[in-house]
Amino acid sequence: MIQQDMHEPDDWEKVLWKHHAYPDNYVPRRSFLASLQRNPNFRPYTYWPLVILSCSITQHLAVIFIFLPVFVRLKEHTLDPRSLVCISVLCFFLGYVFWNVFKIPEEATDRHVNHLKILKPSIMMFLALMSLSPVLRTLTAATSSDSIWALSAVLFILNALLADYTVTEVQGAHEGLSSVLSMNAAVSASVVLASRLTTDVSVFALMLFSIQSFALFPMLRRRLQSSSIALWLSVTIGLSILAVWLVSDLSRMVMWLYVAALLFITLIAPAVLIWAQRYKNIIRGPWDVAVPKVN
Amino acid sequence: MEPISIAMISDFFHPAVGGVENHIYMLSANLIKRGHKVIVITHSHAPDRVGIRWLLPSLKVYYIPFLPIASSATLPNFLTSLPYLRTIFLREHIHLIHAHASLSSIGHEGILHSHLMGIRTVFTDHSLFGFDDAASILTNKLMVGTLKNVDAVICVSHTGRENTVLRGQLFERSEERPDELELRKSVYVIPNSLVAEQFKPCVQPVTDTITIVFLSRLVYRKGIDLLVATAPKICALFPNVNFVVGGDGPKLIELLQMREKYLLQDRIEILGPIRHKDVLSVLSRGSIYMNTSLTESFGIAILEAACAGLYVVSTRVGGVPEILPEDMISFAKPEEGDVVRAISEAIHIVQNGKHDPIHAHERVKNFYNWEDVASRTEKVYDAVLKTPQMELMERIRRTMDLGPFAGPIYTIILLVDCVFFLFLEWWMPRESLHDVHHHWDPEVFKELMEEEERRKTTVH
Repeated sequence: MIQQDMHEPDDWEKVLWKHHAYPDNYVPRRSFLASLQRNPNFRPYTYWPLVILSCSITQHLAVIFIFLPVFVRLKEHTLDPRSLVCISVLCFFLGYVFWNVFKIPEEATDRHVNHLKILKPSIMMFLALMSLSPVLRTLTAATSSDSIWALSAVLFILNALLADYTVTEVQGAHEGLSSVLSMNAAVSASVVLASRLTTDVSVFALMLFSIQSFALFPMLRRRLQSSSIALWLSVTIGLSILAVWLVSDLSRMVMWLYVAALLFITLIAPAVLIWAQRYKNIIRGPWDVAVPKVN
Repeated sequence: MEPISIAMISDFFHPAVGGVENHIYMLSANLIKRGHKVIVITHSHAPDRVGIRWLLPSLKVYYIPFLPIASSATLPNFLTSLPYLRTIFLREHIHLIHAHASLSSIGHEGILHSHLMGIRTVFTDHSLFGFDDAASILTNKLMVGTLKNVDAVICVSHTGRENTVLRGQLFERSEERPDELELRKSVYVIPNSLVAEQFKPCVQPVTDTITIVFLSRLVYRKGIDLLVATAPKICALFPNVNFVVGGDGPKLIELLQMREKYLLQDRIEILGPIRHKDVLSVLSRGSIYMNTSLTESFGIAILEAACAGLYVVSTRVGGVPEILPEDMISFAKPEEGDVVRAISEAIHIVQNGKHDPIHAHERVKNFYNWEDVASRTEKVYDAVLKTPQMELMERIRRTMDLGPFAGPIYTIILLVDCVFFLFLEWWMPRESLHDVHHHWDPEVFKELMEEEERRKTTVH
């Protein structure tokens, strides 16, 4: 950028207190902008690790697109709500087993104590949902269905945008605000959708399923991600295929759109990110605000 | 050089106080001493500081009725200041404007308008900015547009120049090798300065106690976190060391909490806000000055403390390493442990009598003075006035270089400004403006002063 002229007089110093013979607009060729750093800590991305990371977005979308067809089937009475309850309970226990298998080793000592502790709130949740379902069924009876579809669409988009897709599990710390908002958006969307259903048991089944998919699955997902890549990929592919299959019965066009979105997010978006990295230009220098290190 | 008429333009001027305000005032006063005519243009201050005021020594200040939005800066509105500035420039027969501070939008507007009247432009940048937060990105973009067409840029330190050059994109195609970019010739470094006579060291009685003075706004950027972390450790390490802390700001609470927590009420004295004229009396209470700024373009407070005979401990940030020789200052990294180390080093130096306040004062007096700054600035003005004025087409070409989005926007502003100027020429013709003939007359001022003295003596 600046032409480099390698002869520089030795008596020029980068100080202001000395009176030297050089004019004020003199530019020392060698030391000018010498402390400028471009892209420090630059770490070029590689394709396949990015694809693996983007799988968590793929999984999240797959869960949403499994949830929606399930709702439609419940609404059109092509799915028995009692079998959905059974599937949910089965998923819960399956997930719980996985959750324990991939536990961080140092926590493993007091495992047997925790099992009962976890079972109790689960049953409480189960009963609370059951008793609330008549209320939820008639919650938005006065609202037109069009508003409900629009509202739930907005809430699901919010959920997908705000969800926490990071790998590392924060130990002991509070969850980020955005991931809490994300979960709330999804549960609210399920509540308004559930209020379109006709029977109490189907409302209950849908709400139970929604808690599984949007509150418990993201927690499991983070743990799965830090376990083995093969399992992680097979879960991703399995969920995606299930979602595509469920959607394909409802509408061909939605299915193709969804497949396109999945392929874009999983395979094309990482490539775009790698391409865009060549435009990365971070400038660091002595003028930056220092970060104080305090113990 | 021939005496000329100069207009200093900045949002930051008296009655606000600060480094830029003081710089403009002192530079103007010294240029007046050298025979130039200087006026200052700034925005009005509530409740009644609007219109024209005179400051000693014969500095005329125009307070234009614009409302400041935040920390005394006005909203960037590009065109609305033209009627005011045109009238002032024409009436005062200004040859050159000197805008100060990159957050001062009225200064940028002055640079935008003045070419219409054939007036030359100089810009002084006083602060450092990063490149990666939203505020910096926006202000840098505004500044690039202005600096494309400015005749000369002055920075207050070498680090400041590197920063300004990158922020303002002050590169142009080299004449010999057209495919290469090189730095513009018109970027200067002229340091800030101080009035050494105002910071004379007081000779203190010899005691065992060493007082560390900390004097700054209590905000994050001044590194108050480091002070809060290190002060208890230093107090524990050295039982004969006390602190005096002056200044106000949001971090005052943390300081008070720290003092309470470690029961240091008798070791750390917190003075609260300090007026500029009381700075010396606070400085003269101590023998070590501590500065923990996280960014600093020049660090005038450090210089004032060194001039008042204090040994300085500072974080090595921005332009601070340039302002004093290594034997008058101890540097620390902005880390808790290293600050403690540097302070301990300073305490040993002061305890063993290796730092002579009177000698330090004499040295600083030699390093910096305003006469020198004024004559160096005058050279910049001279160089600017000797170069030919840029043509409008050249301005448009340079402005279009700004980029595919910003370029056309700034060009439109430039052209609309020209049309607005033509409209004003028709609406308020130059011939109808009253030129300023009455200038400051030192004789009249002297007479008035004498009269006042006589009146006082007769009353008594």
